[in-house]
Amino acid sequence: MNNLSFLSDRKSLALALGLLMMVTVPWWAGNQYQLHMAALICVYWILISGLNLVIGYTGQLSIGHVGLLSIGAYAFAILAGKMGWHPALALVVAGALGGACGLALGLPSLRLPGFYFAMTTMAFALIVNELVLAEVDLTGGGIGLPGPAFPAPLDSPVGFYYLAATLALLVTWLSWNIVRRIWGLGLMAIRDNPVAAQAVGVPLFRVKLMVFVFSGITAGVAGAMFASLQSYITPDTFIFELSLFFFVCIVIGGRGSIVGPFIGTVVLTMMPELVAPLAKLGHFFYGLLLLLVVLVVPEGLGRVFELLHERFWPRPVHNDAITPDLKRLARAIKDQA
Amino acid sequence: MKFCSTKLINSSALFIGLAIMSGAVSAQTVKIGWLSSLTGPLSSAAVAENQGVQLAVEEINKAGGILGKQIQLLTRDTGGDPTKAVNFAQQLAFKDRVEFVIGPVNSGEGLATTPILARAGVPNIIIGSVDELTDATKYPRAFRAINTNVQWISTANNYALNTLKKSKVAIIGDTSGYGTSSAKTAEELLAKAGIKPVYSVLVDPNKTDLTDEMTKARAAGADVVMPWTAATGLLARILNARGGMGWNIPVVGHPAIMAPQIKKLLNQPQYWENTYAAGYVSTSYGADGKLPERTQALVDKVRPSYGGAEIDVMFWWVALGYDTVKIIEYAAKTAGSTDPAAIQKVLENTNKFEGVYATYSWSPTKRNGFPDSNMAVNTANTFKDGSFKFAPR
Amino acid sequence: MLTVLISGLAIGMLYASAALVYNVMYSTSKVLSVTSGHLAMLGGVFGAWFVNTLQLPWGLGLLGGIAVGALFGWLTEVLAIRRVLNRGEDHLWLLSTLALATMVQQGVALWWGTEPRPFPRLFEQNFSSGVLDQKFWLPIGMTVLMAIGLELFYRRTMYGKLFMAMSEDAFAARARGVPTDRIRVMSYVLAGGLGGLAGFAAGQLTFAYFALGLTLTLNGFIALAVGGLGSNLGALIGGTALGLLSAFASYWFGGEYQQTFAVGLLMVVLLVKPAGLYGSLKVRQV
Repeated sequence: MNNLSFLSDRKSLALALGLLMMVTVPWWAGNQYQLHMAALICVYWILISGLNLVIGYTGQLSIGHVGLLSIGAYAFAILAGKMGWHPALALVVAGALGGACGLALGLPSLRLPGFYFAMTTMAFALIVNELVLAEVDLTGGGIGLPGPAFPAPLDSPVGFYYLAATLALLVTWLSWNIVRRIWGLGLMAIRDNPVAAQAVGVPLFRVKLMVFVFSGITAGVAGAMFASLQSYITPDTFIFELSLFFFVCIVIGGRGSIVGPFIGTVVLTMMPELVAPLAKLGHFFYGLLLLLVVLVVPEGLGRVFELLHERFWPRPVHNDAITPDLKRLARAIKDQA
Repeated sequence: MKFCSTKLINSSALFIGLAIMSGAVSAQTVKIGWLSSLTGPLSSAAVAENQGVQLAVEEINKAGGILGKQIQLLTRDTGGDPTKAVNFAQQLAFKDRVEFVIGPVNSGEGLATTPILARAGVPNIIIGSVDELTDATKYPRAFRAINTNVQWISTANNYALNTLKKSKVAIIGDTSGYGTSSAKTAEELLAKAGIKPVYSVLVDPNKTDLTDEMTKARAAGADVVMPWTAATGLLARILNARGGMGWNIPVVGHPAIMAPQIKKLLNQPQYWENTYAAGYVSTSYGADGKLPERTQALVDKVRPSYGGAEIDVMFWWVALGYDTVKIIEYAAKTAGSTDPAAIQKVLENTNKFEGVYATYSWSPTKRNGFPDSNMAVNTANTFKDGSFKFAPR
Repeated sequence: MLTVLISGLAIGMLYASAALVYNVMYSTSKVLSVTSGHLAMLGGVFGAWFVNTLQLPWGLGLLGGIAVGALFGWLTEVLAIRRVLNRGEDHLWLLSTLALATMVQQGVALWWGTEPRPFPRLFEQNFSSGVLDQKFWLPIGMTVLMAIGLELFYRRTMYGKLFMAMSEDAFAARARGVPTDRIRVMSYVLAGGLGGLAGFAAGQLTFAYFALGLTLTLNGFIALAVGGLGSNLGALIGGTALGLLSAFASYWFGGEYQQTFAVGLLMVVLLVKPAGLYGSLKVRQV
């Protein structure tokens, strides 16, 4: 199931093709709207790949990450906009601040059982929104703040897309590495059976906290990019439903993989746009679709694609017979004796 | 790790699907995008405005359309979510290539979409009231049809201070984005008139009882209460508290306090007396008991859709929606095309375009078209068939 | 000042009743359903519809509200819980109850409208009664009655004891011949009915408003966590504490930091006593 060995030829070819496609999006995207959506998907993915480690791998039900997104976005808007810092520096600070808030949130709450942790993160998101509304002098209150653009050439839609895509690839590579190493198994052990994980020596709380802080950093960075992409942020943007959206992307995509949540992100971001003509019924269908996916394909859409893949390109079953080297064994025993 | 081949299949499938869906653009219609929050906050206003917009589109299409082309109305329900509003604005501007955009209804969404539509160069008729939505230099093609927040607040302040001759003001706002900014603007405008409120508070719009805040206001010696919130539940509770306390001071505030829903939420119908709100001349009954001509004409056109019964929503919403499309029609006809630059030129040199809701004037430096002369103060409990009576002067 | 106390107590009791609903659902399925708050919303909205629109007497409206709540509780079990529990994956019930809650909220918004609508006056009473007004005393009285009723149910009736047996150890109960699936359905129907009842009682306080669901889910959870999972007395005390704290904080500091205080209470209690005031962490490790 878990393949820690290096990429086979076919896989590296597929990886190269995928990267090529990502790089050439501006050419075949058609119009600026689709480029905007592609950039939005990349920005969401920055947050979701970090969150994926928390929800998909360690199994912590965090539904409050919109609070961290909000903190990153406002930090960026205030530092790069009001205080005139260089956007790149503001981006880094937004990420760091997201990580720090992740630490502050995670320390008291990661020890709580599942639903409690979920509700605590939800309450965190609501508190952040409340504070943003209340601190009018800092955050502009209900009016919000403009989201500063990056210096040229990154302020054009194409340039911004490349920035977002680069960051998304970087974060994906980071999280892939975290997962690929022994930590990856440790993370999933924590999700599936914390007691057994502890028994084998996985430092439960420390790992959970580190992963949570990582997700805070990615959320902060994503927030900064989001503020720049939307070009204007108000408290109305960072509502609880957005947190649910991130959560749903991961669960629908399938836990325990990186591709699955990416599929989930792409599908769910495009979905409201596709049901747009339905106007009033849009939200209702979103809930209905969620319910259907949970009931019919709870392993997530990623699993559906895996099954299809197995159907058409079944993995060859190797028969590695083990033949013991008796001569060497005999020598070893003789030397021992 | 399953990283690559499935990603390839996926991303290609989705992006190709997207490209196919963008479709061909028809040049035989005038496309108007309509960003409306038909669900979510302020949906009652949006639904009523939608009625006006649809009526105008039907009417114009029946008469041959704009410049001989039929209007194609693309409605997008943003649900009060600025991210969706931004996405739809981008979709309308770049994928559907609309020639005009009306809305969004919510100011919070408007703050996010206006810069985007400005960058795309699409003419945008603004129907949110927050003052920061228009700027002749930053958003040259955004023209506001509704009044500004400042117009609402200063009309109410004027009435309270100069007509009712009160000086000890209590301000009650709600903790939403609109409430916090309106309360702040109200305080600033009062300060300009040299008045400092004796009591000012922000409450959760769903707070179940306002007796405490009203008691504190009374203890502070207030002689008029000015609520700045669009939440009908909160407004009804303020009036209930005032009535329950037996406190007979006037309440002057946001037009939502005149909404017909308020009546049903009140404990006693007489709690609605001594209540006034900022309103419009165009939707007020004159001394002869009649509405202005153009308003009455629109009322008669709309009446069939109510089955001949009384209109049960605030009519200015319908009139506003109707006018936005008429403004577009006027601009296109005068410019002779739907070229954005030509439209901008026409609109910014418009003096007194007569709509139903108001008579609009814009200038190269002014993008708020609603005239101060159309502002009025109405008495809250005089709702009849969508319009109100003037408050006593 | 007295009004602050009474209004805080009243809204706190509504939160407590949401916590009671959580408790009943949790006892048989170990699931904390996001739909708990929405049950009260349905009770209020449908109660208003039955009495105001259909002009039924308020007794029938009350029964109607309870029936709608019970129906939705049953739906929750059938759609969101049954298949998901069989799969044995942790997060899915959160997601499925969340999806169902979103659907019901949107559905009600489409049908009922997004503005709060009036709830009928149940008893003849002068509106200047101040703190003695029925809109305060109905939720308080009803929640206390519900809690007492639940305790009697658990201790004195066979089905109540079956609920308790299931909450102690579902496998052992099953081994003893208890039809755990049917008992679970019963508990959801009961919880739904209670939620509808609570919503109806509190209708005059909150008005019939579609967005009440999510607020009650969160605040009901805070009341539950503070009071302790599984304890009805704890639910009452947690709800009261939360309601009073919110009311007084709002009175002294204004409404801007309301959520912060409410959650502050939660965090303080959880840090000091993670199981809540009356709860006990009966965690079976291996």
